[in-house]
Amino acid sequence: MRKLILLGIATLLGAVDVAQVIESPDAVAILQKDALPKATVYTMPAGCVSDDPSVIARGKYLFHNLNGKDAKDAPPEGLTKLLPNGKEKQYGNCVACHNIQGAQGHGNVGPDLTKYHTMFVASGARNAPFVYQKIADARMDNPKTHMTINLTTKLFNEREVCDLTSYILSQK
Amino acid sequence: MGKRSLSIALVCLALLGSAYAEESMSMSAADKAMYDELLENNPADMELSEGESLFGALIGKAGYAKMMGVSEKALPAYIAGFPRYVDSAKKVVTLSQTIQMAAASQGKEVPKLESPEMLKMTLFLKSLANGQKTAMNVKANPQMKAMMTLGKAVFEQQRGGRGLSCNSCHSSDIIGQRLRMQILPDLGSKANASAGTWPAYRMTKSETTLLDKRFQQCMDNALLAKIPLGSKEMVALEVYVTNMTKGNAIHVPGVKR
Ligand code: HEC
Ligand code: HEC
Repeated sequence: MRKLILLGIATLLGAVDVAQVIESPDAVAILQKDALPKATVYTMPAGCVSDDPSVIARGKYLFHNLNGKDAKDAPPEGLTKLLPNGKEKQYGNCVACHNIQGAQGHGNVGPDLTKYHTMFVASGARNAPFVYQKIADARMDNPKTHMTINLTTKLFNEREVCDLTSYILSQK
Repeated sequence: MGKRSLSIALVCLALLGSAYAEESMSMSAADKAMYDELLENNPADMELSEGESLFGALIGKAGYAKMMGVSEKALPAYIAGFPRYVDSAKKVVTLSQTIQMAAASQGKEVPKLESPEMLKMTLFLKSLANGQKTAMNVKANPQMKAMMTLGKAVFEQQRGGRGLSCNSCHSSDIIGQRLRMQILPDLGSKANASAGTWPAYRMTKSETTLLDKRFQQCMDNALLAKIPLGSKEMVALEVYVTNMTKGNAIHVPGVKR
């Protein structure tokens, strides 16, 4: 009996199981939902590359801006600052890593895309489908790439990838 | 800030200056002047002293040491070894999580990881290890080993709106390059000593932040879904990043851009 009482007191004293109070929420579900689908090969759609100024204007806007909240200028026709669900639209922020004509405060994580057509396409080193694929899913020729994935993540649609491709290939 | 901590901070700044030739690109002259000013007069020192009172009222150094099963004298070295496996927690925990344990063991209300009180108390507790070196041991036991493996996986997992991982910007082949005007920092370098310098005052946000909250800021910026504080994956990330910067001096609160 005495033993039992002592045991009772002991459990009372040790009643708080400290392991139980530690905040330890689940992150597995969040990470699973956020996962990147596997590398995907894309076929550049017909008529993708264009020298239509409105296409180039969209590509330029996507290239130089981060998102609808940060963009100073009004977006060109065919682009919005908000998504239909009311959230800000994300743009490419390509200038964070790439230099190009007219870039302001560009980074240097990725190659310089200045005079891309003259430097790389005219020589035959690169072509439009390569640029399209690189923007859509940069992992295809470089599984360890540090570049963003833009079509497989659904950040952009096909047309927006074409807008960017057209801008990079355009004579500026 | 004491004379000694100030001189350590100045040495850190000197290292920062010499580490990257392009340092000037990441900070304008005005920012640099503000940074120097903050080093001498860190706003987070206020939070540290508030943390000391809060911690004293909630747990006390003696109570904390007793619960962790170490002597009060051994606390600095013990704290320098976090995150660590704690028997009574039955898992690898952060300093903040041990504050939750200690509060509960004293029958007090358990502060939330996201609360301002938790930030202040964690800052105070960590400051007890100032002058020590980051001394976490990932080989100490199977639990730590497993967390290190998990942390690496979380660090390298490409995800989110742009398919990026922590590694996209913090891998060894890319540090020192510029993202916009920002030099990509080497988390493990002496100049950043990330595990030893957080909680830190962030100049660009005008606020003091915990290391795991800093991870969340990078997740936000890079469009990765934010994983919650205290989750196994977040603790694992802290283990992984802490291991990179092991051996560097602990000096909190830090000052960051
Ligand atoms: C976080 C850094 C980063 C961002 C943001 C980024 N890139 Fe890149 N980009 C790279 C890196 C690194 C490479 C080289 C490695 C590779 O080819 O995968 C590259 C390669 C390229 C190339 C191929 C160049 C060549 O001829 O080899 C093109 C085209 C390109 N990027 C366009 C873009 C566009 C358009 C965007 C925005 C939608 C963008 N990049 C955003 C880092 C980035
Ligand atoms: C798109 C690029 C990018 C990604 C992705 C990224 N970071 Fe960062 N990170 C940065 C830059 C740039 C800085 C420096 C910012 C500054 O100085 O203001 C930084 C700073 C940090 C710091 C502070 C360094 C110090 O001074 O102590 C930590 C810690 C950190 N990142 C961890 C992470 C973790 C963990 C992840 C993944 C969850 C991550 N980062 C993802 C670009 C990135």
